[in-house]
Amino acid sequence: MEGQFLSFEDISVIITAVIIGTLARIWILKEDYRQYPSYPNGYLIHIITGFVAAALGAVAIPAIMGKNFVAVTFLTVALQQFRDVRKMEKESLSDLENTEYTYRGKAYIDGIAKTFESRNYIAFITAFFVSLTITIIPLNLWVNIIAGIVVGIAVVFFLKNFTKGKSIGDIAQVKEGKIEIKDSSLFVDGIYVSNLLGTDNAEKLFKEEGMAVVIYPNENHFRINLDNFGQRQAALFEATRALGNKRYHFTRKDYEQGRVVITLVPIKQDIDALIEVVKKCPLLESTKKSHSVMKTNLKGE
Amino acid sequence: MGRESTMKPDYQILAYITTEKERVLSSNCLTLFADSKKTSKEMTVDIAKAMKADVTQLTNGDYMVLRV
Repeated sequence: MEGQFLSFEDISVIITAVIIGTLARIWILKEDYRQYPSYPNGYLIHIITGFVAAALGAVAIPAIMGKNFVAVTFLTVALQQFRDVRKMEKESLSDLENTEYTYRGKAYIDGIAKTFESRNYIAFITAFFVSLTITIIPLNLWVNIIAGIVVGIAVVFFLKNFTKGKSIGDIAQVKEGKIEIKDSSLFVDGIYVSNLLGTDNAEKLFKEEGMAVVIYPNENHFRINLDNFGQRQAALFEATRALGNKRYHFTRKDYEQGRVVITLVPIKQDIDALIEVVKKCPLLESTKKSHSVMKTNLKGE
Repeated sequence: MGRESTMKPDYQILAYITTEKERVLSSNCLTLFADSKKTSKEMTVDIAKAMKADVTQLTNGDYMVLRV
């Protein structure tokens, strides 16, 4: 009968690992400038999936130690669950596409969904390492638990920096652009953008309330990322999401010098916020091509 | 705005307003003749408002109402 119950040590290992794994998920769930997930239900869903991921990571070592090798196969369930999180995010964001000011775009949605999947792996791996540390250190249980917590924190820091991507501000300068309208055509810093301003109202609105930023790549090869349609769409989406969009939003690339224009008529007139939000727009993983550009940042600088 | 190379153009020409009779040709979109520049401008704005569409003015002075 006694063998059917977990020992106090095993329970301590599992509980500590689950708590640290879940806290890791909560820590990286912070609400950022992208405002996603910014709703209580969104938080709850991701905390619960993070808890499940941590629980799966936490019980793996006690299962192996108990020679229960069959139980370890449930790790495949974990992988399936993480894939489902990614799928859920993708579907959810795709469903919202028609209700936003502009499209996020498939590339950006894919990036966000991948991020959510990887964050569950962080909870899983953290819990796994906490559990492993507590189990293998041959000292007093409380000392082992403290060591496990320290290792858990170190693992979270490492993984957080490892998965941290770059943003447009890391590879380009973002400056305010000067708007000009000539014969129903819109120009920003001399770059032709659109000729959809055919009415007096449109011209007046854009002249009075239009705002524009121009992205100048630091190196010529950064144009590979910045010229990508999905990347420009993501930057435009973030701009409209942060400042609102009264009417008109355009993005245009300049073939000669590689400049990229983001322009719109926002609800909130704040050029500094527009520059900041474009700078902080993440570089999409799907646009990464060059190794020299996209060297993974292990130190988190 | 640019688009992905494989993406189909998703704009639609809703109306073409001209002040030259010889430019009124049959087509998929509504093609209207206006007897003056002022009328063509008013017609364009009215149609664009009703259709929630955008307007572009061609170099020849004609208007095109389109949805992008």
